[in-house]
Amino acid sequence: MRVAFVGKGGAGKSAIAGTFARLLARRDGPVLAVDSDPMPGLAFSVGVPVTDAPIPDEAVQERAEGEEGPRFRLREGLTAAEAVQRYAAAGPDGVRFLQFGKLRGSSGGLLRSQFAFRQILSSLPEEGWNVVGDLPGGTRQAFFGWGGYARTILVVVEPTAKSLLSARRLARLATVDPPPDAVVAVANKVREPGDVELVARRTGLEVVASVPWDEALADAERQGRAPIDAAPDSASVAAVASLLDRLGKVS
Amino acid sequence: MLGSAEFGDAVVVADLEAGIGTLTRLGDEVVDVVLAVVEPTPKSIEVGTRAVALAREKSLGRLVIVANRVRGAEDVERLVAAFGEVELVAVPDDPAIVDAERRGVAPLDTAPDAPAVQALVGLAESLAPVA
Repeated sequence: MRVAFVGKGGAGKSAIAGTFARLLARRDGPVLAVDSDPMPGLAFSVGVPVTDAPIPDEAVQERAEGEEGPRFRLREGLTAAEAVQRYAAAGPDGVRFLQFGKLRGSSGGLLRSQFAFRQILSSLPEEGWNVVGDLPGGTRQAFFGWGGYARTILVVVEPTAKSLLSARRLARLATVDPPPDAVVAVANKVREPGDVELVARRTGLEVVASVPWDEALADAERQGRAPIDAAPDSASVAAVASLLDRLGKVS
Repeated sequence: MLGSAEFGDAVVVADLEAGIGTLTRLGDEVVDVVLAVVEPTPKSIEVGTRAVALAREKSLGRLVIVANRVRGAEDVERLVAAFGEVELVAVPDDPAIVDAERRGVAPLDTAPDAPAVQALVGLAESLAPVA
C-alpha cells in the first residue's frame, strides 16, 4: 500500500499518518514512513526518537560532467532498498522513518539529501514495502513531484472554513505523475453530526474516514508521544484503524 | 514584496507560511517584529526554536513568542524553559476561537471579550500603542 497524507497545516496530517503507519506495519509488514515536510512532525507521531533523519552526504554522488539525469543520485552500487535499510531511522513495530532533511538556517544544504529522497521513493520496489507519506501543509509543494509514489492521496480536512477551502484546492491540484488511483478525504476533529457531510459537500471528495475530536490525541501531542503509544484505546486511533480496514478492502 | 514596496505609515501584518521556509528568504530590515506562534507541544517548540535561531541570525527585528493554546502555568513554564529570555505573550486555549474557526468568522468580531482575543488585543497594543 502506498499512500500520502496532505492538508492544511494543523489539520492533523502527521498524527493520522504516524498512527496509520504503525497500524499498517503491525498488519502488513515493512512500512517506510516518509516526511517531506521540512519541519519536524511525523517522527513524533510515529514514535521515532529522532527529529532529523536525512540521507547523509556520503551516500549521494554528484552527476559527472556530460552525464544525463538528475544532479545528485545515490552513490554507485547503493540501491533504494539498501539506502532505506542503512539510513532510515528504525521505529516501533518495524516502521522505518526517512525525511528529506530539515530546514535549520538560512543556508541550504538539503539538496543532496532531497535528490536521494526522491530517487528512493521512485525506485523502491513495490513488492515488500508499504509507503506512508506526510506531505507539507498547504498547497504549494503538495503535488510537485513529492507525492508521485502514492497510489492513494488522503486529504485530511477539518470542518473549518479555512481547512475546507484548502482541501478543495488540494483536490483540484491532485495531478501527480503518474496519477493516483484515488484522491479521498479524511474528516478530522469531527465534533458534530453534520461535519462529515459538510466535508464531502465542500470538497467534492469521498470521505473515507471520520476521526473524532479527541482530547487524548491533543494530550499525546503535548507529550510529544505517538498517539498509538499514548492513547492506544482512544476513539481517534480506532478511527484510523477503520481507515486502514477500508483502504485495505479497496486495494 | 515586503522588502520592495513602500508602505508609508501603514501597519503591515504578514501571515507567513507554516514552518520557517519564508523566514529563510526574508531579507533583513523588512520587518520590525517577528511573532513566532508556538504551541506547548514538542513538535511546535522544535519549529519555534529553529525560527528564533534564524530570526536572530538574520537580525530580523524584535522577537516575540506568542504562546498559543496555553492551558496553564505548566505550559508557560515549558515555553519559558525552551525560549529563555525571549519576550513571551500567552494566549489561552479558548473554545471561542475553535467556534469562530468552525464558522469561518473573525474571533474579534464574534467574541471580542473572549480570553484569547483579549490576550491578542494586549499584544497588539504593546506593539502599536493606541495614541
